[in-house]
Amino acid sequence: MARLIRTEKEVEGRYTEQWVVVDEDALEQWPAGPRDTVGRPTPRQDGLLRARGEARYTADVRLPGMLHAAVLRSPFARARVRELDTRMAERASGVRAVLGPDVEPLTAEPSFQGAPVAAVAADTYEQARAALGRLEVEWEELDPLLDPDEAVRRGELVGEPSSHERGDVDRALAEADVVLEAEYRTQTVLHNSMETHQSVCVWEGRDRLTVYISTQFVWGIREVVAEHFGLPQDHVRVVCEFMGGGFGSKNGPDDHTYIGAELARRTGRPVKCTLTRREENLAAGNRNATIQRLRVGARSDGTVTALDGEFVNSNGWGGWLASTGGPMRMLYACENVRTVEYAAKLNTPPMKAFRAPGFVEGTFGLECLMDELAAKLDLNPLELRRRNHADQDAMDERPFSAKNLLECYRRAEPHWERREEVRASSDGTWKRGVGLASQVWYGGGGPPSYAWVRVGADARVTVVTAMQDIGTGSATAMAQIAAEELGLPIDRVEVSLGDTSRGPYATISAGSSTIASMGPAVRSAAADAARQILEIAAQRYDREQRLLSLSGGRIVCADGGSWPLEEITCLLESGQILGQGSRGPNPTGMRVLTFGVQVAEVAVDVETGEVRVEKIAAIHDVGRVINPLGASSQVEGGIIQGLGHTLSEERLLDPRTGTVLTRTLDAYKLPTIADVPVIVTDLVDEPDVHLTNLGSKGLGEPPIVPTAAAIANAIRDATGADVRSLPINREEMLRALREARERHPEQVGAPSA
Amino acid sequence: MELLRPDSLDAAKAALGNGSVALAGGTELVPLLRDRIVAATTLVDIRAVVPRGVDGTRIGAGTTLAELEADPTIPQALREACRLAASPQLRTMGTIGGNLLQSTRCWYWRLKYPCWLRGGDRCFAREGVHREHAVFANEPCASAHPSDPAAALLALDATLRTDRRELPLADLYRLPTDDDREMTTLEPGELILDLDVPSAEASAYLKAMDRRRFSFALVGVATARFSDGTRIAVSGMAPIPWLLDGEAALDTAAPLPQNAYKVEIARALVRRALAEVAA
Repeated sequence: MARLIRTEKEVEGRYTEQWVVVDEDALEQWPAGPRDTVGRPTPRQDGLLRARGEARYTADVRLPGMLHAAVLRSPFARARVRELDTRMAERASGVRAVLGPDVEPLTAEPSFQGAPVAAVAADTYEQARAALGRLEVEWEELDPLLDPDEAVRRGELVGEPSSHERGDVDRALAEADVVLEAEYRTQTVLHNSMETHQSVCVWEGRDRLTVYISTQFVWGIREVVAEHFGLPQDHVRVVCEFMGGGFGSKNGPDDHTYIGAELARRTGRPVKCTLTRREENLAAGNRNATIQRLRVGARSDGTVTALDGEFVNSNGWGGWLASTGGPMRMLYACENVRTVEYAAKLNTPPMKAFRAPGFVEGTFGLECLMDELAAKLDLNPLELRRRNHADQDAMDERPFSAKNLLECYRRAEPHWERREEVRASSDGTWKRGVGLASQVWYGGGGPPSYAWVRVGADARVTVVTAMQDIGTGSATAMAQIAAEELGLPIDRVEVSLGDTSRGPYATISAGSSTIASMGPAVRSAAADAARQILEIAAQRYDREQRLLSLSGGRIVCADGGSWPLEEITCLLESGQILGQGSRGPNPTGMRVLTFGVQVAEVAVDVETGEVRVEKIAAIHDVGRVINPLGASSQVEGGIIQGLGHTLSEERLLDPRTGTVLTRTLDAYKLPTIADVPVIVTDLVDEPDVHLTNLGSKGLGEPPIVPTAAAIANAIRDATGADVRSLPINREEMLRALREARERHPEQVGAPSA
Repeated sequence: MELLRPDSLDAAKAALGNGSVALAGGTELVPLLRDRIVAATTLVDIRAVVPRGVDGTRIGAGTTLAELEADPTIPQALREACRLAASPQLRTMGTIGGNLLQSTRCWYWRLKYPCWLRGGDRCFAREGVHREHAVFANEPCASAHPSDPAAALLALDATLRTDRRELPLADLYRLPTDDDREMTTLEPGELILDLDVPSAEASAYLKAMDRRRFSFALVGVATARFSDGTRIAVSGMAPIPWLLDGEAALDTAAPLPQNAYKVEIARALVRRALAEVAA
């Protein structure tokens, strides 16, 4: 029965209260452990398509008569367009339409470099670009605001500051046996999805629009694009069959889609609007830099009694306030906690969500501070974390739906115990050490999400749902879930997704929510189809339905009889069995979170500042694992992205003009395969008994959360140097070593005790 | 744009000049053309006419970095400099002659800020972000030379033969001046044909990067020991490949506020590279 509930919905740590209509989730969870298909390593079903270049990405969409758009973006961090003459551009070869700054979201007052000012559609992309050069613009360059602390002082903020206080922090600090204070900084990093932001917009008549787009949320695009153009939602179709990465940067339509759709409307032709890599690295979002001024108070036994943090996010010209203070509020059982967070509004490209936004940055600060505390108190860092374990939600005392962080710590022991051995393997100028960091993040997903399951006469099954696979392999996981429920081998199940006109509403692929939201809906749809098959079988074979089940592609009776599934489905001829399922509610009154710990082994050349990460063991608790193969890929991807964030990636700005210097991939240094350490993945794989019919949470974000802190703590273990600023590149490493030498001339170079 | 494919040196020479540009591996020229930093209406593909391959101490300018990194007969420093450059794909296309003529990676120059090197009146890097920039001869332009093999060849005291002359590698480069902001002495249309690389008694190349591979040198150090002494050259440290007159020459570096770390790295790498070639 449909039920109307008022529920908290969480995406990327942002909670909103909303009404949701949910169906009762009547299915019992499967027992823990691997089953026939679920829980078994399963290659991605679309792997070959992708490898052969047959997968159709947005970049591959070429429609008859399609035009190409190019966008004039502000070369200045802050400027005003005094005058813009489009006449020459309109007359340029191949040009079909020109948009000026009066058309939203184009602007005559760009407030960051890369803000869109004008746009052209032409027969070829080269013609469109050439026409941009014929736009005559008179710019008035204005002074940009670039200093985040200055912005906070002036009250130039994106949204309101966010404050949280529990207990009495000042008193707890005054009474603490030890108080440590430190400032941590993290840099701006760029998503650099392999496929840049792009869309192809085509109008069918005057009031129907189809948008092919590289996106994490086809339904979200549908909603806001429909609103923008004043169309009924069902008149907008959004398609994303394959995408080349998003990492949080592709949750919305962005300027290119509005520009492309407007140009398509004016020309009556399909229009493709694609960002170049350089535009991507200006205008496609970023993980904002942070300044974190932290204090911790503790008793001498390591009990943390006070946590205090001021967090300044360098948001740029928009975005939202990511929870850099989240880990401080949530990770430990501390009674006295105060966090104040600001989003500084600057004349720099606006932030967007980037894989666990806020928590990656905040975990770096907090978990480095915890290790500094352990050193101060001469405690084992792992023991310090156990001592401060939160048995219930530290903010509102809610129980966790499930929490196996202590089990993660237990499994981390063998990696952690290598410390002596690793330190002893230091060799000449290469000093080695081991560090760890904990992880807390969301990932529980939620309603609404729907799926259909279609069984044909050939006993093949298609899962139909308009979700998108952001690239994680979630489509294959859906096929596994349906196969498991229907007792079929996986090669008889396929998944149709990525098209709002072809399937029901499905979740955003953000906040580690796709499997947690969609998996239960797919299972319930498959169960609905299975029930219908068994009802038919009961009649056909004259058995009691309660004795029948589906297994190994057969209908199996408890009395020993069994029949191939095709024997029943072929009776359908052109008919179909249609199952329908939806995502039930999250458990009320409980906090659904993911947890984990990573242990890093590093080597540091104390003369040259080179840091080599040699091994990372990642132990995470995300509930039931559907596909261990896909899950380990997720962990590896998260760690590699975290490695870049820790050691080499940084968006650099010219300090005078606020223009971006690292627009190209030679200057912006992503890690290469040569930088990748040995990665050991260990997932607790214990279903969350309170969460849906699967007990699965998401794994997209957790693996990137603790990586930077684990590496920084390993560096401190190896060298005694406090690295408090990301990236830990050569100059930062050498600076920290120099500072440590000044502090403890005798220790540096030698592993600390 | 027109692409010519001459099949003789004479035809190539005739095709060059008048604003046409020689194209070999294209790994540097194509991006510069795309970014309109180099303007050309005619490209002359010289791959059929420039010598390729190794013959004793002679290396054809058309030999690819991938071929050199795998050649056991050339000096270690050059082999290693090739191996540590770029990525396998780029090394498979890029030639040693072209590599010597690379332009700086200075982001201000590559992004076409109107800087001194482009004919403007100030160096944006000196006032702005210069962590990757030069610590020697960095005024008025703080750009750093990116070639790894150039430092190795400079330490190895290589000689170039062009279609017009022979010259020591050191003479291929010049520090730009207010009047002439070119960084090489190559005349318009002049082609490097081959290199003569003396076989040192021992040589080495060490490189510090922002990541393990596929990154330009923050500091590259080449050493080559000959009977009359050891030569040291560095890349990423000056606007052109830079010869160091002994380890102590690092004391004369004039780092900018954000790149003193390069000198620190260079000290370690010079010591190590000298140790590697010590008799």
